Amino acid sequence: MDFSAALPVADVVAFNRPAIDWHAASPELILLGFGALLTLVDVIFLDRAKQYTAALAGIGLLVTMVPILTLANDMSETGPRVMFDGAYVIDEFSLIMKAIFILSGYVVILLSTNYIAEGDYWESEYYGLMLSAILGMVVMASSRDLISIFVAFELLSIPSYMLATWKKRSLESNEAGLKYYLMGVFASAIMLYGMSLLFGASGETILTKVNASLSSDPLTGESLSSSTPVLTLAVIFVIVGFAFKVSAAPFHNWAPDTYSGAPIPVTAFLAVASKIAGFVALVQLVFVGFYARADVFQPLMWILAAASMIIGNLIALRQTDIVRLMAYSGVAQAGFILAPLAVAGDVGDQALASIVSYLAIYAAMNLGAFAVILAAARKTGSTSIESMNGLFSYAPGLAVAMTIFMFALAGIPPLGGWFAKFQIFFAVVEQGGTWAIILGVLLAVNSVIALYYYASVARRIWADQAPDGDLTPIRIPPSLGAALVLTVVATLVFGFLPGAVSQFTDVGLIAGG
Amino acid sequence: MSDFLRSYLTVAIFGGVAVALVGVLLGLGSFLRPSRPTATKTMAYESGVDPVGDMWSQSNIRYYVFALMFVLFDVEAVFIFPWAMRLETYGYFGLVEMAIFIFILVLGLAYAWRKGMLKWV
Amino acid sequence: MLLNQFLLLAAVLFCLGVYGVITRKNGVMVLMSIEMILNAVNINLVAFGAFNGTPIGSVFALFVIAVAAAEVGIGLAIVLLIYRNKKSIDFSEVDILKG
Repeated sequence: MDFSAALPVADVVAFNRPAIDWHAASPELILLGFGALLTLVDVIFLDRAKQYTAALAGIGLLVTMVPILTLANDMSETGPRVMFDGAYVIDEFSLIMKAIFILSGYVVILLSTNYIAEGDYWESEYYGLMLSAILGMVVMASSRDLISIFVAFELLSIPSYMLATWKKRSLESNEAGLKYYLMGVFASAIMLYGMSLLFGASGETILTKVNASLSSDPLTGESLSSSTPVLTLAVIFVIVGFAFKVSAAPFHNWAPDTYSGAPIPVTAFLAVASKIAGFVALVQLVFVGFYARADVFQPLMWILAAASMIIGNLIALRQTDIVRLMAYSGVAQAGFILAPLAVAGDVGDQALASIVSYLAIYAAMNLGAFAVILAAARKTGSTSIESMNGLFSYAPGLAVAMTIFMFALAGIPPLGGWFAKFQIFFAVVEQGGTWAIILGVLLAVNSVIALYYYASVARRIWADQAPDGDLTPIRIPPSLGAALVLTVVATLVFGFLPGAVSQFTDVGLIAGG
Repeated sequence: MSDFLRSYLTVAIFGGVAVALVGVLLGLGSFLRPSRPTATKTMAYESGVDPVGDMWSQSNIRYYVFALMFVLFDVEAVFIFPWAMRLETYGYFGLVEMAIFIFILVLGLAYAWRKGMLKWV
Repeated sequence: MLLNQFLLLAAVLFCLGVYGVITRKNGVMVLMSIEMILNAVNINLVAFGAFNGTPIGSVFALFVIAVAAAEVGIGLAIVLLIYRNKKSIDFSEVDILKG
């Protein structure tokens, strides 16, 4: 073939100034501005900046919520806003996810303030990195293009590696960061290889166009775009890359080690925001990029979902550390969220709606559980599961909150989790095929297994004696208290008023642009 | 044999000839030349000065910080070259974009400077 | 076809990189193996871009190069941190967290 004609020569491609919808881009721009401001304040004031950085980051996140609300308000009139030829789309799905990212980021900052300040480490970078990771997630929610998905993925991953290593003199934290880094970089390299094959097979990077070129009849023509082995390999590599991010089995090995070694607020951030970002990317790829090729992605998703649920739950049963327990339960939860993707080709809208509501509820109850673990660790100084013993006898408020979160995670009505699990189950069974029914049975069985270990944590809190009979109450700083109240209220509201969450999360199929 | 493989056969033959030639010449040399090593003769040559330490000495760990910053700022230039190639086409739009980009890079440099990364402690 | 050679080279580099990541214990070697995978990706992207007659492939490759530099920067920083605390960069010795 002749390459000379293919090389992009400077004067061949005309430049059209891309139209920028400033309103639609404002959440990202505000976050970027606050991130730069934090660095600037740090650079100028050095030590004196320490006390303001957390507040500044929190204000930044709250200000970012304003354009998201106004955009949501305009959405019914304007419809999805599309920028850059469809590479960047602001639709209902992306706005809901952005709100979840920003609110969970806010809760994580509330959790971090005292923990990081008391840990004797520099604070301003911590919040700057947190903001850039959240910026990456917010960008991810709108990316409908392979390049922007890749850049958003790295923008949220690279700060997370540093946050996981934050306690730089602790070998545990070093190891947590190293394992997270190695797994993350390896996963992104594999994902990129898949993306390069996908680009080769379709000649495009914008997901709607990728989908269009993949959906052509695979039996006609010899062109690369219809070659199924290459396509299958590409889809598998890309999905495996994100499976690492959401810690789906068998790619979950980093999660327990990283979670237990990293600072607890960072663990909460990784377990909630970062994981949800992985799901957002998967959802966009599946529903926009690969939707025409359900035959390729559905079996893979089925395997990932089933393996994650079973492996996560079985290993969680014998954990002795509450953070590791949460890590493995997170693997199992990832299996639940992946389950609707295994039937996404047949019950599109319903699968998407069930995933979105699960993600919203998951964020609330998981952040809450980590807030309680953090509060309890302030007194006991450990995260072993015994440190939960007798929590009720000296901190009844925390005990009630933890019980709510545990039962919500287990899916006991009327708490948030049951509605989420029910919707997932319903979407999977709706499809009606043999494999879908088997997956439904697995979902039900695993809910029961999960109930066992969640309930055993609750039993320790209420029935057991406090270690050493030490009944001094825990002093909860105001920011931590605020985080607890926020998450408890969210979990209860999602449970008692499932209409409230489904009203927001009942999105149509994602706008491709 | 396909064209694809035939073109590689040429490469293989070329490689084989090269290896054989070097092997023959070096073998001939070692066969002919006298070999009377002394301690001074086998010493590594370091500009005529007596060598210090062995070859695998570890470089000072502080160099890594500079190397790291060099790599980062050096590689970010890949975004500047395409813009510079078509400076006029992109006009003010491109100029503003690049100004924002460079501002963020400079912020990083200022950060490194204020935190004392540029000083040799 | 010229495209096949590029894809073959990229596939070989990719496999070598994956092999290196899995078997090497030295921190710097693992980072280099990851770079190798990323270079395989770049070869793929540029070859496909030229084959399809679009500059998108090269643009994607530029982003990969820039981001890879940032990633390796963080990786070296973490390796340095571990060296400072442990005086070793053998990853097989970094194994406190278990269970």
